[in-house]
Amino acid sequence: MMAEAQVAEPEEHYQAKSEGTAMAIGIAGWVLPGLGHGLQKMWGRAIACFLTVGVLVVIGAGMRGNLFTADGGDAFAALGYVADLGAGSFYILARALEADGPDVSRAAGDYGTRFLAAAGVLNLLAALHAYEAARGRKA
Amino acid sequence: MTLHFSHFQSMLLFALAISVAFGFLSRRPALERLKYIGWSVLMFLLIGVGIGWVMYPFSR
Repeated sequence: MMAEAQVAEPEEHYQAKSEGTAMAIGIAGWVLPGLGHGLQKMWGRAIACFLTVGVLVVIGAGMRGNLFTADGGDAFAALGYVADLGAGSFYILARALEADGPDVSRAAGDYGTRFLAAAGVLNLLAALHAYEAARGRKA
Repeated sequence: MTLHFSHFQSMLLFALAISVAFGFLSRRPALERLKYIGWSVLMFLLIGVGIGWVMYPFSR
């Protein structure tokens, strides 16, 4: 009887970085989408994060979505501000692109608001992923 | 700069961007990523259009 050959799963080893370095990588990923993964040489993920967050921000601002500010007034506006701010430096880009301000009187403007919020939340998720990867918890 | 998209185009662009990001973040081999992205876009569209039809009787 032939013994079944044990085929070892190829393991990928990731060097766990110190807490401070991992935190810096996470913050870098938040400030510039994709940078957190780029610093860890995860080029595919870095480019994907940069492009998807960038595309969502450009389209959202192009559709004249509402970009929330710190002085929103109510809880929903505050939540919207946190979501928008998640895009890091792209928040400033969105503000620059929306020279005429938001226009939510049409459906397109409403969609734009969702695009901008989704860009921010997606970037926060990517930054958290970069932090976890730096800690050696995710690959 | 003002962009004009139809409802469906907006949904398609949103589904594509989110699916690509999720695919790259959650899957590793290229083929797995492609499969995930394809399924995710398809589900976004099917569920989105499905919910649209469910809401149709109450839209007027």
